[in-house]
Amino acid sequence: MRAAARAELADVTVARGGRDVLHRVTLAVPAEGVTALVGPSGAGKSSLLRCLVRLDEPRAGRILVDGSDVRTQDPCALRRRLGLVAQAPAMLPGSVRENLAYGLPAPATEDELVVALGRAGLPVAFLERDARGLSGGEAMRVAIARALTRGPEALLLDEPTAALDDATAAGVADQLAAVAAEGVTVLIVSHDEALARRLASWAARLRDGRLEASGPASSVLGS
Amino acid sequence: MTQVLVALGLVAGALGLVGWLRLGIGRELAVAALRAAVQLAVVGAVVTAIFDSAGLGAAFVAVMACAATVTSGRRLRGVPGAWVRAGAAILAGALTGLVPLLVAGAFSTRPRELVPVAGILIGGAMVAASVTGSRLVASLREGVADVEARLALGVPASEAVAPRLRGAIVTGVVPVMDQTKNAGLVTLPGTFVGLVLGGASPAEAARVQLTVLLALLAVELVAALVVARLVVAGLTLPGERVAVPGEG
Repeated sequence: MRAAARAELADVTVARGGRDVLHRVTLAVPAEGVTALVGPSGAGKSSLLRCLVRLDEPRAGRILVDGSDVRTQDPCALRRRLGLVAQAPAMLPGSVRENLAYGLPAPATEDELVVALGRAGLPVAFLERDARGLSGGEAMRVAIARALTRGPEALLLDEPTAALDDATAAGVADQLAAVAAEGVTVLIVSHDEALARRLASWAARLRDGRLEASGPASSVLGS
Repeated sequence: MTQVLVALGLVAGALGLVGWLRLGIGRELAVAALRAAVQLAVVGAVVTAIFDSAGLGAAFVAVMACAATVTSGRRLRGVPGAWVRAGAAILAGALTGLVPLLVAGAFSTRPRELVPVAGILIGGAMVAASVTGSRLVASLREGVADVEARLALGVPASEAVAPRLRGAIVTGVVPVMDQTKNAGLVTLPGTFVGLVLGGASPAEAARVQLTVLLALLAVELVAALVVARLVVAGLTLPGERVAVPGEG
């Protein structure tokens, strides 16, 4: 039995640089649990995430979030509800404290900042670290925590464990599992199928911009 | 003639340096020198007529504004409607200085006074618009990931680009601030030198120069602010997105 959809794509085509990177994709992302979008590089996975938060606009088709067309929704409110974490996420200038505070209503209290940092699984001493001096894994954790400060209903992650060593990737995976357990919809784009198998209950496979399969993770990804 | 020959020698030296360092601006530098020579020769030939006719004076100011617009517009390559945005910024800046000076009677509307003063103010606005606009476009190009990280957190496009906008405005007005701070110490500005060479007393020349310099502070700040706002408006797409122009 499928849960209600958080997001639905209906016949979506996306063009970048003059060529279609997604061709007439129709897909539903369940509101509960973790959904993995897998496929080789260049399959159009990242473009799909960007369209969900309207950083890109589809050339054709409709995207619905919670049943309503994203084009009719306020883009800022939509992005606060669907927190996007980019691959190799950009840290804003300043400390980790300033990065987390950027997402919180001003002025952020010390308690709010400590809670946010805790969700990243990082010790309090990290608050004063220069955000642009963090390792890839630390930056990914802080970026996830920063996205969560907005209280999103869904978290969208583009290759969250790419370029991380196994131990760091496992830590990020634990963080995402904890987020999903809190009831936040998690959608990960990844070419790491082991990560997808570990976390996802639902999955979709893209190849050359076309949807190859979608369904329960065990059937799409195998075991 | 000796003066021109020495200056030509200096330009040749600069071109040699540019070539040696492979800076890729040799052609632009040579064209700039050639244009200055031709333009000053033409102005020298017709300036008496311009100074004696209100109509010609006004037309010449319009030509200055158009030339400044084209020059600044080229620095905003990739921004939709670049020339219109550059022109609006230059006009806003120049008028900010010119209108109060004329209304207060600091300078008269006689072409002999209006043309040089308008030229200085338009030139200042042009430099501020060019530097601010090109810096802003370059900064947005370098910082796409930063801007998109802010957008993804649900802030409006205007807020996502605000740090880059402020940085570009500051860069755009640094030259005029440095010029003002160091007037009389590091440089003897053009108006002062011109007036003294033309026979005015140093005190009178200093008074006019100070008026122009202080006006330029406001002129260049307004031009920088306006061009920055207009560039952001030109690059903001529906749906709170920012379109960053590609290289070139």
